[in-house]
Amino acid sequence: MSQLSKRPVLVVGAGAAGLTAALEMAETGREVVLVEKEPVIGGRVARFHHYFPKLCPPSCGLEINTRRLERNPRIQVLMSTRVKAARRDGDHGWTVMLETEPEYVTDRCTACGACTEVCPATCSDRFNLGLQEAPVIRRPFPHAWPERFILERDACAQGCHECVDACPYDAINLDAASSLQEMQVASVVIATGWHPYPVEKLPELGGGRFPDVISNVELERFASADGPTGGVILRPSTGTPPEKVAFVQCAGSRDIKHLPYCSGVCCLASMKHAFYVKEQLPEAEVTIFYIDRRAPGRNEDFLVRVAETKGVRFVKGKVGKVEERDGTLEVTAEDAEEGKLLHETADLVVLAVGMVPEKEEDPFGLPRDDDGFAVNDPDRGLFVAGVAHRPADVATSIRDATGTSARALAVGRRS
Amino acid sequence: MARTNVLAPSAELREELRRRGGASAQRCFQCATCSAVCNLAPDGQPFPRRQMLMAQLGLIESLAADPAVWLCHNCNDCTVRCPRDARPGDILQAVRSIVIERLAMPHWFGSIVAHARSTWPLLIGLPLAFWVVLLGVTGHLTMPARVANYGQVVPHVLIYAVFIPVSLWVLCAAWMSGVRFWHLLGSAGPPRRGSFIGATFSTLGEIASHRRFALCEAAHPRRWGHFFLMWGFIGAAVTSGLLVIALYGFHMEMPLPLDHPFKILGNLSAVFLLTGGTMLSFQRIRGGDATGQTTAFDSFFLGVVVLVAVSGALVEIGRFFFSGEVAGWLYIMHLTGILTLFVTFPYSKFAHMVYRTEAMIHQKMTEEG
Amino acid sequence: MERIGVFLCSGCGIGEALDLEAVKRIAEELGATCTIHPCLCSEEGVAALCSVLDDGTNDSLVIAACSPRSQCRVFSFDAEKTTVERVGLREQVVWSHPAGDEDTQAMAEDLVRMSIARMGEEKLPVRLEEEIADPVLVVGGGLTGMEAALAAAGMGHPVFLIESSDHLGGALSGLPEVLPVAPPYDRPHQSMIPALIEQVEKNDRIRVLLSTKISSIKGQPGQFEMDVEGPAGAEHLLAGAIVQATGAHPYDVSKVVGLGYGSLPDVITAAELDAMLASGRLARPSDGQTPKHVAFVQCAGSRNSDHLPYCSGECCATTMRQVLTLGRDFPGTEASVLYRDIRTPGQLEHLYQAAQEQPGAFFIRATVRSIEGSGDGRMSVALEQTLLPELTSIEADLVVLATGMVPNSADGEAIRMLHDAQNRVEHGESDVQKEEAQKIVDELRAHEGTEILNLEYRQGPDLPVLAYSFPDSHYICFPYETRRTGIYAAGAVRAPMDPAQAMEDAWGAALKAVQCIEAAKRGEAVHPRSGDIGVPEFFLQRCTQCKRCTEECPFGTLNEDEKGTPELNPLRCRHCGICMGACPERIISFPDYSVTAVSAMIKAIEVPEEDEEKPRILGLLCENDAYPALDAAAQLGKNWNPWVRIIPVRCLGSVNVVWIADALSRGIDGVILIGCKHGDDYQCHYIRGSELATTRLENVQETLDRLALESERIRIVELAHDEFSRIPTILDEFAETIDELGPNPYKGF
Repeated sequence: MSQLSKRPVLVVGAGAAGLTAALEMAETGREVVLVEKEPVIGGRVARFHHYFPKLCPPSCGLEINTRRLERNPRIQVLMSTRVKAARRDGDHGWTVMLETEPEYVTDRCTACGACTEVCPATCSDRFNLGLQEAPVIRRPFPHAWPERFILERDACAQGCHECVDACPYDAINLDAASSLQEMQVASVVIATGWHPYPVEKLPELGGGRFPDVISNVELERFASADGPTGGVILRPSTGTPPEKVAFVQCAGSRDIKHLPYCSGVCCLASMKHAFYVKEQLPEAEVTIFYIDRRAPGRNEDFLVRVAETKGVRFVKGKVGKVEERDGTLEVTAEDAEEGKLLHETADLVVLAVGMVPEKEEDPFGLPRDDDGFAVNDPDRGLFVAGVAHRPADVATSIRDATGTSARALAVGRRS
Repeated sequence: MARTNVLAPSAELREELRRRGGASAQRCFQCATCSAVCNLAPDGQPFPRRQMLMAQLGLIESLAADPAVWLCHNCNDCTVRCPRDARPGDILQAVRSIVIERLAMPHWFGSIVAHARSTWPLLIGLPLAFWVVLLGVTGHLTMPARVANYGQVVPHVLIYAVFIPVSLWVLCAAWMSGVRFWHLLGSAGPPRRGSFIGATFSTLGEIASHRRFALCEAAHPRRWGHFFLMWGFIGAAVTSGLLVIALYGFHMEMPLPLDHPFKILGNLSAVFLLTGGTMLSFQRIRGGDATGQTTAFDSFFLGVVVLVAVSGALVEIGRFFFSGEVAGWLYIMHLTGILTLFVTFPYSKFAHMVYRTEAMIHQKMTEEG
Repeated sequence: MERIGVFLCSGCGIGEALDLEAVKRIAEELGATCTIHPCLCSEEGVAALCSVLDDGTNDSLVIAACSPRSQCRVFSFDAEKTTVERVGLREQVVWSHPAGDEDTQAMAEDLVRMSIARMGEEKLPVRLEEEIADPVLVVGGGLTGMEAALAAAGMGHPVFLIESSDHLGGALSGLPEVLPVAPPYDRPHQSMIPALIEQVEKNDRIRVLLSTKISSIKGQPGQFEMDVEGPAGAEHLLAGAIVQATGAHPYDVSKVVGLGYGSLPDVITAAELDAMLASGRLARPSDGQTPKHVAFVQCAGSRNSDHLPYCSGECCATTMRQVLTLGRDFPGTEASVLYRDIRTPGQLEHLYQAAQEQPGAFFIRATVRSIEGSGDGRMSVALEQTLLPELTSIEADLVVLATGMVPNSADGEAIRMLHDAQNRVEHGESDVQKEEAQKIVDELRAHEGTEILNLEYRQGPDLPVLAYSFPDSHYICFPYETRRTGIYAAGAVRAPMDPAQAMEDAWGAALKAVQCIEAAKRGEAVHPRSGDIGVPEFFLQRCTQCKRCTEECPFGTLNEDEKGTPELNPLRCRHCGICMGACPERIISFPDYSVTAVSAMIKAIEVPEEDEEKPRILGLLCENDAYPALDAAAQLGKNWNPWVRIIPVRCLGSVNVVWIADALSRGIDGVILIGCKHGDDYQCHYIRGSELATTRLENVQETLDRLALESERIRIVELAHDEFSRIPTILDEFAETIDELGPNPYKGF
C-alpha cells in the first residue's frame, strides 16, 4: 500500500451521491472524511416526498444509509462544515482546511426537545424551503441525522437564553465559535449537488409573481408528511385543495436563455407529482404541458401508467404565459397536436424547473463544462459525483457516485 | 395549387430563407412557446409554430396560402421567448418576402426588388436617370437661381404625366397580385362565410387604430413608429390627390400659403413620415430580439421612405434657405424617391399593405359564421 | 448470555413518566444487575456501561433508554465480545403514552422483561475467517467489461476478463465514433475502444481470455471456483467476485410488421447504418446508389407493448450522432428524423441542438404507421399524429430503424424451472405430473441453452431477472443490491444505457465486487447489513429436507445436497433471516437473532387475566421501515394503544410462524405484522421478505379458521417509511378489532 492510500478520501457533500460515495468507499475498507455544510445529511433528496417510478419515500433509503454510516467506524462525519481552502501536496493528495460552523448545540444534545418548547423566536424553515416558520432551535425534521438539534443563532431574540436554561444536559453554548482544522487527504470526491433553477427568473410563467405558481421542489414539500402542510396539497393563496393543476415542463430548461440543457428528471418528476395530486384529490384535473415526454429506460412504464390515469392529460405544447384573472390562474399554451390555443384555468401551477449545479466555494478549482457541471480531474485526484457532475435522477446519481468512488479509490494504487 | 399528401422534405427553402435572414428555422423543436406567447394568434389557428414547421420542411406552397404569415405583425414576442433562438419573427418576415416575390406581376420585377441587397443602386439609380433624362429632353435641367415654386424645376404637368400612369400600372400590378393571393387564401383552410364588406370595414378600422400592434409586448414602441408612418403616407397620398384637384380644378396658385389647410395637411403628413421613419430606423439600428433581424428587405424599403421624407422636408425649406441649384436637385431626389417607392410598391415590403389587409379580411370572414 | 446488565436511563423525561425503581426490581428479579442512570448517552453514562463490561460484571447489556436508532455511535460495543439489546423506552413508551399511567408502566416493564429474556437466548457471533481470493472475474469484453476490468485492476485486484468472441470491443467494435461521454456534448466523439483495448492488454493485473466460455462457477464470494473453456482447453480459476457485463443486442426489428425490415431492401437498422458510415460508403442495398434522403424511424419496436415496452434511452442520441456524421461526411444528403418524443436527456440535449443545425436535417414528430415501396425505387413512410394535418407521409431513399436494446442476459430462475420440469418429465411419478411438467417445459423452452455464468446454484445458473429480462435489482437507492451476492451486473445488460452511463456503471460494479471481496476478508456481511458478522447456523440433524429455506432465500445462498439438505454458503448470506422464517422445524438461527430468542421475548410478555379487560397485542415490525415510522410518530407526539408490545425484526420474511403460535397459545389476543410494500415496486430490502410473510400468514390464517379461532386476530400491513402518521391509526384500529373479538380463548391455558 502506498503512502497515498493510507490517507483518507475526502467527500464533500452528504446528499444522495456524497453519502453513497462515502459509504461505498468505507465499506471497501478505506478511511473516509465526509463533510457537509448543512447540519443534517440527506441533501436534496431528504426534501423529496417520493421517488419515481416506485413512489417510495427517500427516507427509506436514507434509513439504511444512516444505519450503514453509524455502524461504520471508517467514516468521520463533519456536519456544518465547508472546505475553506485546499492545497495540493505534490503527488500526495491534498491538504484541506475545514471550517466548522459554531457548534451552538453540542454532542451532549439528546434530542429531548426541552429547548424547542421554550424557544420564543421563529425563523424561516430552511428544510421546508422557507415555506413555513419554525422555532429557532429545533430538530430539522423527524428522521434528521445526526439526531441533534440545530440553532439558527442569527434569529435568536437579543439576549435570550431560554433554551440554555431549559436544557437538562448543558448541551447549548450560545457563545460557540467556528473552528478550523487542517486535514491531509489522498483524493477528493465532490458531491456538492444542485439547486433548483429560481422561479423568479421566469416571471412570464408566473414565477415569483403569483402565490399559486410553485416550483416542483416546493410541491415535494407540500406532499411530504413532514412538510409545511403535513402532506396535504393546498393552494398557497387560499389554503384550499386545488381542483385543476397545471404542470409546466421545461420551465427554464432546454432554453438557451435559461438552462440550455435538459435536467433529465423533470418530466418524470411531474408525472410522479400527477400521482401525488390524484392520490389526494381523485377528482382533480391534472394537465402536463410538455415539449417531449422524456421517460428513458423502464420509466416508460411509468409514463404509460400516468397517461392511463383518468383525469391526467398530456398536452404537447409548452406553456407561454401564466396570468392571474379573478383569483384563478390562466395558462396559455398551444395544443400542437390539435393546432389550437388553450387558455386553461388552473388553481395551482407547478413549474418543472431544472437543476443547476452548485458552483459557489470551489477551493479546488475544478474544471467545468459550458453548462457549469464539474468534470473529473484524475491527475489531481479530484472526482465529481451526482448532479455536481451531470444532471441526473437519483438512481443515476447514486450509480455514478459508486463508480466515482472506485475512481477515487484507484488514485495512488496504479502499478 | 397542388397540395400533395406525400411530402418530400426539402432543404432548398432553407437556403432561400437563409439568404433572406431566416437561417434559424431549423433550430425549432416545436415546443409551441411562440404560438402561446403571440397575442395576435387566433385561438383556432394559432401561429407561428406551424409556420415554423412548414418553413423547416420547405413547404413554401402551404406558407404562400397561409394567412397567418401576414397576420403576424412582427411583434417578435415569439423571438424574444423562443428557447432555441429559432427566431420565428425573422422566419415569417423572410417568408413574407418570398411570398411577395412569388406573387409579383411581372415576376421578374419582383425578383429584382427581392434582391434589393444587390439591386438597390439600380432601383434608385434608374428613376434618377429617368428624371434627369426627362428633364433634359424637355429642357428643364437648368436650375433657377432661387426656387420660388418647384413648378419651375419640374413642371407639374410632367409630374402628373409620369405619376398618373405609373400609379395606374402599379395599382394594376398590385391588384393582380392581390387577386392571386385572395384566391390562394381561399384555396386552403376553412371557408369564408362572413360578409366581405363588413370584414373590410372592420379590418380598415383595426388598421387605422393599430389595435393589433397595441397587443405587441416586446416590440411595443413599434406601434407608434408604424402608426405615424402609415398615417404619414395616407396624409401624403390625400394631399397629392387634393393638390391635383386644386391645381386643375380650381387653378390655385402654387406654392400654397403656409396656413392653407392642404399645406397644413401636407406638412403634418411629412412630420408623421419623418417621425415614424426615424422611430423605426432607430429601432432597427438598435436591433435586438424584439426588433428581429434587419435584412435588405426591410432596410431598402425603410431607406426609400426615409429618403422621401427627408428630401421632402429639405425641399420644403430649400426654397428659403438653399440656392436654386441645391433646392432643384433635392427636389429631383425627392421625386426619384417617390418614383422608386411607387414603382416598387407591389414588390417591396410596402406590399404588405395589400397582403396583410387581405389576410385580415380573410381571417374575419373565416372566423364569422 | 449469562451476566446481563440492565441500564435504565431516566433522562429525556423517562424518569418522570415511569416508576423506574419498579422496573429495576423486575430486572433484578429476573437475575440481571440493574442500574438507573440520569443520562446514559453522556460521557459518564457510557463510562458506566464500559466499566461493567471491563470488570466482568456483565457480558451483555440491555440499554433501556432511547430508540435503538438513536445514539448508535455512542452505544456501540465490540460485537464479538458483547451483545447489546436496546429498549426504546423514550419513543415507544414515554413520548407516545400518558405519563404515570399503569398501562404505560406495564408496557415499559414488559419491554424490559422481553429484552432480558432475549438476552438469555443470545450468543456472541463469531467472525468468519476464510481464505479469500482476490481476483475479480469480468464477463464480457465490451466497453463495460473493459472499464470494469481496469477499475478493479486500478483498485489493486487481479482480473480475469472473459470474452466469448475472439476480440475485445463488444457492440462498439469497429465504430469510429460514439456518443459523447464527456464534454463537449455537441458532437460525436472518437471511439474510446481502441485505446481501452490497449490499456487492458498493457495492464499486467488483467488477464484477457478470448473465445472463452464459462462451463461452471461454484462456491461463494471470495471463493468462486470457475471452470472455463477456451482455445487452449479447459482451465480452473479462482475469483472473489464477478462482474457480468454481457451487454445488449439490437431488437430483431423484422418482428415489427409494417416497418418493412427484411422485405424492403432499403430499410436498414441503425447498426447497419453505422457499419456503412464506418466503411465510408453510403449506398442503398438495393441498387448501390447514394441515397439523397434518409429517413430515421425512432422507437422502431420500442415503447411498444407488443415488442419492447421500454425506451432504450440511447437510440435518439445515436440517431443524432448518425445525422451529424451523415451531414459531415456526405454533405447534401438529407435526413428526416421521425420521432414520438426526442429523448436526449441531460447534456445530450446539446447533441440534439447540433443535429438540428445540420442543413439537411429534418425533425418530424410523428408516429410511423408503415413503410412501403413507392414504385420509383423510393419508399413512402406513412405518418400519423404529426403536428401538421397535411403531413401524412414522406418519401425517402433509405430508411434507418432506430432499434432498442435487448439485454444479453439469461433468466436464471426460469432456466432452473425448466430444468426441474424437464427432470419431472423424465422421472415424474405420475402421468399427471409429467403432463404438468411438459407444459412448463413448453412455456420456458426459449430459455434452453441461454446460460451465461453457469452458476452451480440451487436457484438457477444465472442472475435472476426483473421486468424485460434485465438482471437488475430494481433499486433506486441501491443499484447494486444484487440478488446473487458477489455477482454484479453492469452496463447495458443491467438496464438500457448509453456509453457514458455504461462506463460509470462498470466502475460502480467493479467497486462493489472489490468491496465484496474486502468484506469477505473481514468476515462481514455486505449490503444492507454491511458490517454484520453473525451467520446462520443450521441444526441439520432435525432437517426434514422440505427445501423451503433453499427455495425462499432471495439471494440464492443455500445449495442442496442430493437429498435436499441445505448447504450453507455463509459468504453469500445477507443476514436477513428469511430462511429462519421459512423453517418449519426452527433449526435455523443466528447467534444474535434466533427463533428461540424471539419466542422467549414473546413468552416474557405478562398477559393479564381475561377479567382485567386488558388485551395484549404483539407487533412484529420491520426494523427498516415500520419501526422507524413508529419512532417518528412518537417524536411527533402521536399516541397509540398501550396494549401493543413491539418487537422489531430484521425483515418480515424472518418471522417464523411459530412466534404467532407462541403468542396465541400464551393468551396474547392478536398479532400484527407491519412490513414493507411488495409487488413490482417492492420496497423490501430483502427483495421479497414481506411478500413471503404475507403468503405464510395466509396459511396460518387458514389454520386458525380450522381451529375455530378468528383469523382476524392476525393482520399483516404494508407500510412505507414515511407513513408515520398512519401507523398509530393502524395499531389503534387493530386493537379495536381485537377488543371486539373478545379475549383469546386460549388465555389462561
